[in-house]
Amino acid sequence: MWFRKSIPPLMSLVISLLLGLLVITLTSSSPLEAARAFFLGSFSNSYFFGNMLASAVPLILTGLAAAVSFSSSAFNLGLEGQLYFGTLIGTYIAYKLGNFGSWTIVVILGAAFISGGSVAAVSGYLKSKWNVNELISSLLISYSLVYIVNFFLAGPFTDPLAGLAASPYVSEKLMFSKLMLPSSLHSGLLLAIAVSVVIYLIFSRHTWGYELRITGRSQFFASYGGIDVRKTWITAMFLSGGLAALGGMIDVLGIHGRMIKGFSYGYGWNGIAVALIARNNPLLVIPSALFFSYLESGAQVGALMSDITPEVARVIQASVFYLVTAEGLAFFLKKRRRAKTA
Amino acid sequence: MIGEFIHTVVSMTVPILLAALGGLFTDLSGILNIGLEGMMLSSCFFSVLAADMTGSVVVGVLSGIAISTAFAGITAFLGIKLRANIFVAGLATNLMSAGLTVFLSSTLLGSKGTVTFTSFEPLGRLQIPLLNDLPLLGRALSGYNILEYLAFALVIITYFVVFKTPYGYHLQTVGKNPETARSVGISVEKHIVLSFLLSGVFCGLAGAVLSLPMRVFVGGMSSGRGWIALVAVVLGRGNPLGVLVASLIFGAASALSNLLQAVTNLSADLLLTIPFFVTLTSMVVYAMRKQVRHD
Repeated sequence: MWFRKSIPPLMSLVISLLLGLLVITLTSSSPLEAARAFFLGSFSNSYFFGNMLASAVPLILTGLAAAVSFSSSAFNLGLEGQLYFGTLIGTYIAYKLGNFGSWTIVVILGAAFISGGSVAAVSGYLKSKWNVNELISSLLISYSLVYIVNFFLAGPFTDPLAGLAASPYVSEKLMFSKLMLPSSLHSGLLLAIAVSVVIYLIFSRHTWGYELRITGRSQFFASYGGIDVRKTWITAMFLSGGLAALGGMIDVLGIHGRMIKGFSYGYGWNGIAVALIARNNPLLVIPSALFFSYLESGAQVGALMSDITPEVARVIQASVFYLVTAEGLAFFLKKRRRAKTA
Repeated sequence: MIGEFIHTVVSMTVPILLAALGGLFTDLSGILNIGLEGMMLSSCFFSVLAADMTGSVVVGVLSGIAISTAFAGITAFLGIKLRANIFVAGLATNLMSAGLTVFLSSTLLGSKGTVTFTSFEPLGRLQIPLLNDLPLLGRALSGYNILEYLAFALVIITYFVVFKTPYGYHLQTVGKNPETARSVGISVEKHIVLSFLLSGVFCGLAGAVLSLPMRVFVGGMSSGRGWIALVAVVLGRGNPLGVLVASLIFGAASALSNLLQAVTNLSADLLLTIPFFVTLTSMVVYAMRKQVRHD
């Protein structure tokens, strides 16, 4: 019963929102207004609401990326760099191809996917071949990639007129159509949902999804059953990095129209939290990502309408992360209550 | 010139070394603490903030240690008592620390960027009378601040604690064979929690040595050193001297990156990848050699 398993996550969400309320009360001089803006602001008009939905799009994909790698028991911590690198390659191709018509979108998304996936697959390969800790290797590679991409955005692939480190704009024709003007909500949301469904089907219906999950439960059982565990890890890491890069690319083609330095800050880490709340279920990744973008958007609106800083979102998101890790939280509280009554 | 470079190597090594010595304790208890980066970062902020508020560097260092140890305690509590995946709990610590420091910097100090603090004396450089006058080596051996000297003293102290005290033996048993430890009455959980708290103390020092000498804080200023320290732990194979050697290699890579940024006009972004490449390469080479030994 998935809903029984999801009671602790739901409780974590409620506790974290209360924490958020506490932080806002402590830091704002008009806590009531600030809290109202934070909790309800995103629903007050179609502009804020649409922007909130739009900011969930990359999180759905990084959430899926994390879910895929975690399900196979490979810990991909390099989502930030994989997303950043894949998006750079995709944006470059988009910029070069320009006006070739709408089929190019497939090429662009594919290029981003393969680039992000390939660098993640390196960590999978190192794990499979020499038992190099993939958690650390993916992270170190990710750190380097962020610097390398920043180099390109500030130098070889920069828009000299931008006034900030950013690539030139890609052709208008390549952009996803807007769904709710004046907000930035775009049809990339539908694509993200479709990808979630595809991943869900792979997990539940396809042999490879089965092999992935068995490998995640017990690699010894999996290899005893004839599954090539090493290959599964490499493919899982590839898919994971690819999905993350897809998230960044869709964000560029949906909102920014070009790649801006640091545009994806936190997408990767928050994607991990999104997957944890969703318990690696690809369909639950969607509401889970919406919750994270709700926090982000609430903080943005709150900062606009009152005196709280948008960073309040990061504190609340991190406390969600803490709380969802504590799978034993409900059990622990119950035990203490029992100890008290005894 | 050579002396100056060695000086930079040592200064770049110290934060990595301190964090890695802390990480060594949890590694010996059988768990990698991936929250080193966040614990270090929290100390960067709180040590410089407390020093600025009180005018005392000592209070600053102690505050850094306190916050870092508190984070370590939370991570261990989640992992041991609440049965969270300890890697995920460590990640949460990294995320909370990054978010909290920027949030507080923005709320209390009104800036998300670089903040400079001026109301306390920076850590002084200790010139050692005779060593200081040596030609060439004088600069390499002398003129460090007290925390930097302490780091090297801690290598020796850690070595004795791990290999010459009952606590060290118990800790190693817990990591290598928890069942044996339990059967002779050693509490595995207590040792894991204690090792995490120790890693908190060390990361507190590591953070303080980053921010106090320069008297600045900027979001994310630990910039991956906690992760590099984690690799130093892995390569050190449970031995503080091994950790020292690995940290020196990574410190040298960082110093090289700094030097090249100063004397060449190569892109700083590209040069900043050097420590990560060196770290990654060392980890892969280590794993390959280990594989060969096993075959």
